[in-house]
Amino acid sequence: MPVRDPAGAAVLERRYRRLLRCYPPAHREFHREEMLGVLLAGARPGQRTPGLGQAVNLAACGLVIRVRRIPGWLAACGLVIRVRRIPGWLAADAGQDALAVVSLIAPAVVVILLALGRGAMDATAAARVPFWQLLPFPPSLGQFVVMMIAWLAVVLLGLTGRRGAAAVIAAISLTLAWLAVLTASVQQSGIGPGGLLLFPAADFDVFLASLAACSLALSPGPRRGLAIVGWRRACLMIAGLSAGFGFPAIVQLVHPAAPVGDLAFRLLGVLAIALAVAATRVRGPAGRRVAGLVAAGLLPSLAVTLPYPLYGGLAPLLVILLVVVLVWPVAIVSWLGRVRRASRAG
Amino acid sequence: MYVYDMTKRSMQEPTFLILTALAAGPQHGYGIITDAERISGGVTRLQTGTLYMALDRLRSARLVEPDREEVADGRLRRYYRLTDEGAALLAAETERRSASAAVAAQRLRARLAGGTA
Repeated sequence: MPVRDPAGAAVLERRYRRLLRCYPPAHREFHREEMLGVLLAGARPGQRTPGLGQAVNLAACGLVIRVRRIPGWLAACGLVIRVRRIPGWLAADAGQDALAVVSLIAPAVVVILLALGRGAMDATAAARVPFWQLLPFPPSLGQFVVMMIAWLAVVLLGLTGRRGAAAVIAAISLTLAWLAVLTASVQQSGIGPGGLLLFPAADFDVFLASLAACSLALSPGPRRGLAIVGWRRACLMIAGLSAGFGFPAIVQLVHPAAPVGDLAFRLLGVLAIALAVAATRVRGPAGRRVAGLVAAGLLPSLAVTLPYPLYGGLAPLLVILLVVVLVWPVAIVSWLGRVRRASRAG
Repeated sequence: MYVYDMTKRSMQEPTFLILTALAAGPQHGYGIITDAERISGGVTRLQTGTLYMALDRLRSARLVEPDREEVADGRLRRYYRLTDEGAALLAAETERRSASAAVAAQRLRARLAGGTA
């Protein structure tokens, strides 16, 4: 063994032992001593720290072996168990509180995103940016005004305690938005590389609108949300989430020719949402659930950062569909949990 | 335990070197690394993590198996040997590589002849 400094060798061995923790316990039990022997035999005289390449190799191989040893069916069961926990997670009182907070902030964010989107569209049109960098189906001013009035009504009705009416208007508006998205996807599916390129500009609205509609329908409502977070925190959350989800539109307002289709730009958008979700978190269990619900909006954003062959296909639309479709049953189960608890208490 | 069907995949260089090193007789981990480096003409030096990941996989596929254990300098040394299945797979891979090398050599000769003509 070339290591002649016993103290140094002990330090090196301790560090190698630490690195070997990356391996699964069974592998470690079987190979640890012989691997240490090989590692120390290959060490330079006086070496006290594992080389970077050796350390990366050990960590990477350990992780690969860990992943390989998870049987596929077990991984699938783990995922199912986690998914099955979500309704219970939301059915608790904190889950209902979280939905109430979402019902307060989501409609307001939708209103701001509508305005930002329209502003960005006008700015890019005025700057004569090529069409493929714009929305794939620019809505007319009339459509924009109708949607704006509808969502302003949702916000006001929610704040004045008419939660049911707000939920109905949100649901009608959401259905119309979905029809627009599906129509556009059918129209554009056969058109060159543009395809679904600019759905992110619209899908953020659809995701948040869906979240808003189901939280209005199935939670104690925005007034309860306001009682939990207060005006100041609510305004901060609305501003932060609008900035995160509206990041592409804000950039286009400032620089109409910004390359919103580039991968780096899309990743920046994902980062902006993640930062907004983290920064606007409410403390406590309800806050974690609010962050979890809103963070689901990252999934469609992540889907559109996929490489072109996947991105150009149906991946983003499918992820949006999955997320939006999942939001509703989760919220319904949460609501049923609340009803059951109320009937037991009664 | 995961199942890894080595026979249905093209053999990677580290696997080929490990099997070749063990073809001469049982060896311990450090012996395999130094022998593999020698076999590859100094081009490939196996990292310890790579070696034991490959040995784990080869053991699962029953291509190698532990031969014996010794204690040297107060530390365990485990020797590995090639199984009959491992030897058969190595023979098939060697044949495949030889055939590919022969085709490459033949084409290079033809290219050289064409260039000088």
